[in-house]
This record gives sequence, C-alpha cells and structure tokens, in this order.
Amino acid sequence: MTAPATNPPASANDTPALAVENLSSGYAGAVVVREVSLALQPGEIRAVLGKNGMGKSTLLKAVMGFLPKMGGVVRFEGTDATRLPPHRIARLGIGYVAQEKALFQDLTVEENLRLAVRAPDFAAALAEVETAFPFLLKRLRQRAGTLSGGEQKMLLMARALATGARLLLVDEITEGLQPSVIDRLAGVIRDARARHGTTMLLVEQHLPFALAVADRWAVLDRGEFADAGATTEPDAHARILRHLSV
Amino acid sequence: MIAQGLDIVTTAAILYAVATGLLLVFGVMKIINFAHGGLMTLGGYAALVTTQMGLNPWLAIPAAALFGGVAGMAIERFAVRPLYGRPLDAILATWGLSIILGQLITIGFGRGVQFTRSPLEGTLDLLGESYSAWRLALVPIAVVLGLGLTALLQGTRLGLETRAVIMNEDLARGLGINSGLVRFLTFTLGSALAAVAGALITPLSSVDPNMGVPWLVNAFMLVLVSGASLFSLALSCLVLGGAQVLVSTYLSPVLGGLTIAVLAAVLLRIRPQGFARD
Repeated sequence: MTAPATNPPASANDTPALAVENLSSGYAGAVVVREVSLALQPGEIRAVLGKNGMGKSTLLKAVMGFLPKMGGVVRFEGTDATRLPPHRIARLGIGYVAQEKALFQDLTVEENLRLAVRAPDFAAALAEVETAFPFLLKRLRQRAGTLSGGEQKMLLMARALATGARLLLVDEITEGLQPSVIDRLAGVIRDARARHGTTMLLVEQHLPFALAVADRWAVLDRGEFADAGATTEPDAHARILRHLSV
Repeated sequence: MIAQGLDIVTTAAILYAVATGLLLVFGVMKIINFAHGGLMTLGGYAALVTTQMGLNPWLAIPAAALFGGVAGMAIERFAVRPLYGRPLDAILATWGLSIILGQLITIGFGRGVQFTRSPLEGTLDLLGESYSAWRLALVPIAVVLGLGLTALLQGTRLGLETRAVIMNEDLARGLGINSGLVRFLTFTLGSALAAVAGALITPLSSVDPNMGVPWLVNAFMLVLVSGASLFSLALSCLVLGGAQVLVSTYLSPVLGGLTIAVLAAVLLRIRPQGFARD
C-alpha cells in the first residue's frame, strides 16, 4: 500500500512514527480500549472515528500516559514509551491536544505558548504561530479564557505546532466550531504536515473534516477497531457512516 | 491608637510570614502540610542553636531555611510522594511527622522553655510610640518575602510552571512539565519558609518543642480563606490579624486567640472563596 501523494517522502528506515501494539486501557475496573494495535508511518495523518463512549479519547489518554496501560506496548519512533509518565512522553516530541480544559484560562496567550515550548528559541516558535494563525501574535497579552471558542481551538493547535512536536494526538478539535473555523484548521493541519512532515492521530466526530485531512481512517467500536481504510477510497464515507449510525 | 495600628500591621506581617509556606504547598499539592507547625519549631531551635553558639542572630534565618528545607525534602520524598493521589492520607502523614519532629526536638533539647537573642534588641521611637524594634523589622521582612515570592512566581520559568501546576496539573504534565519536580521544590521551599517563620517569631516569645502548633491553626484558616493567591493572603492577614488585635485589646486575649479561626469559618460560610477574587 503506497502512501497518498501528499505525504512527504518517508525516512530511509521504515520505523513507524507511532506503533501501538495490543494496547488495553481504561479506568479502575473498566477496560475501555481492548488490545488495540495501530502503526502510523512518519508524516501520516490518521483519523479515528466512532460514536461516543467507544474509547477514542481513552486511546489517546493511554498513549499519552494519563491512563494506565493494562497491557500492550507503545513505541514512538522506535523508543519504548509504554511506562513513561506524561511529561516524559511529551518531551519525546509528542503534542497532545485534549478535548476539554486544554488551555490555562487564567494565563495569557503567550504564557500558554511558553509553557509548551521547551526550546530556548521562543522567537522561532512564535514564527510558527504566525504562519498558522497570525491573529494570535496581536493577542499575546490577552488571557486565554477571554478568547472566543474558535480562537481557543486555534490557540490549541498553534501551541501544539509551536512545540515542533513530530507527532500530534488531537482530540476532537472541531467540536462545536463553525464551518469556517473548521476549514481554517484543516488548512493549517495539512500545511503543517507538508512543511514539517508531522505525523498526526486525530480523534474526530466530524466526518467531512476527517476525510478531508486524513490519509487513512479507522473506526473504533466498543474499544476495538471495527473497520479501517484509506480516505481516498470511494466507499470510505459510506463505510464510516454505517458504523456511526448503528 | 498608634500602638494599636502598629500592633495590627506587625501582627499581619507575622501571620503572613507564618502562612506563606503553607499557602504555596496548598496551591501546588492541594494538601495542607500539618508538619508546618513542626517545621516552625525546627526553625525556632535553629535560632536557639545560633544563639547558643554565640553567632550573629541574623544567621538564624538562613540556618532555619537550611534545616527546614532539608527536612522538607525528606518529608516530601518519603511521606508525601508515596501518598500521591491519596490527599487525606498525605495530610495525616504530615500530622504524624509533626509529632515525631516535636518528640525528636524534646529528646535533643528537653521540654523546657528557652530564649533566643533578637537580631534587633530594644525599642524604636515611631510616631511618638516606643515600639519593639524586632516587631517593626518583621514588617519589611514580610514585604520582602511577599515580593520575592511574587517575583519568583511571575518572573521565572519555574514560577510559570508552578502556576500551571496550581491551575491544572494534568494539562501541565501533557505539555512536558515535570509536575513531580515542581511539587518537590514547592514542598522544600514551603518547609524552608515555615522554619524561617519559626526563627522570625522566636525573639518575640520563646522556644519550646510545641511552639509551632498554635500557629498552625491560624495559618491553616488564613490559607483556606486565601485560595492560592499571595495577594489574598496579605489581605486576609491584615483583616483577620487586625480583628485579632482588636478583640484581644478590647474584649479578652483568650477570645483574641480564637478570632481568626472563628471569623474565617464564618467568612467561608458566607463567601466560600474567601478573600480570593473569584
């Protein structure tokens, strides 16, 4: 299977950017994700879809180290990240965009960015923000909590990109957004991948966005992958809908 | 009148010095460090040892910070950290350690009440009043303490990370911030501040193995009405400390000793966020 033409050339070795093998996770006494496996090639964008409560967010939280891994292995660019705490996983070069409470509301836009950017060169990080969402540079002193809902989501994406993370785990960035903002985010995501070869795992409910942005899709049903394919296949839309509507 | 004004301001300064360490630990770790009183006692004895060795009494402050900081490191590492996620147990553990600390001090120094030398002896004439020089000196010391901590929190990378952990620890971790290290450093600093407070108050009273305990209750109530804000803490120290002075003067010193706890409880009933802004 060849990667879509929009992909940058894969690195010489074919180590996946993210490899999840037989991962099980959940909350005390309740297994939510069951022996899930997936491999993302460098520069690949994968959309994970599924109805509410099927384990999409749990999968991201488990990969990120926020939830205990009851079994399985997680590797990032070949490095075993299974037992690492969240801050060590983040420092490997993984950016996590949570669905809720993902900004420090009482801190300024700039402080939110500074917290995520560990590199000494903050100017370079700001340049990245300017490329994606120029309006944020005029709002650096504004409290993040006073931005509109759409602006907050754009700040979230900008913060993840500013870190230079090589893998982004994004949890329903489109939730509750106007179509114009969703289009803007889709453009930024594709542009970031084209320029940096960033690998992304997007948990989504918004089907048109997922199909427009991702190379491949997978449907999570009761904690297991029920179906998967390439977004370029003509029946992708119909197959995903079947799982979402049941 | 002037004497009362000075009493209020100096009392607020003392309370502020005593409560800041407790406030920082509460903000970051969401637990009340009940070893705070024991650490204050430790600082008092650091001042006593400084006096007994015939050293400059100002050296009591860095000595207390050193002993308190080292004790805090040990408490965080071996008692608080293993109880991460079990805040009530962590609080009980610090209470138990406070008792152990008091007993160790009793074994080492005996039960007796002892006195330390004051860095500033005698009185100062201020606005026609002759007032204790050391009590007055505590006001600028408390101000410097507050400004220093504010500069640390608002002006440094570590301070920004600390504020991030106070607001949302999981989010901070997801951005690569080592919140475990922030907790450790905060507890160490909070413990050092407790011991410094102990050294600061000993010239006003005396040193005994339980000297820190009565302060703990007031500091605890002040922190509860102040949230995690150093500014709110200054405000509550002034208001509640002022009320304590007035009640002690016009009603009775016994009631004065209860004033802060009672008023704080009433305030929390009416306005759960206390002196914090939102």
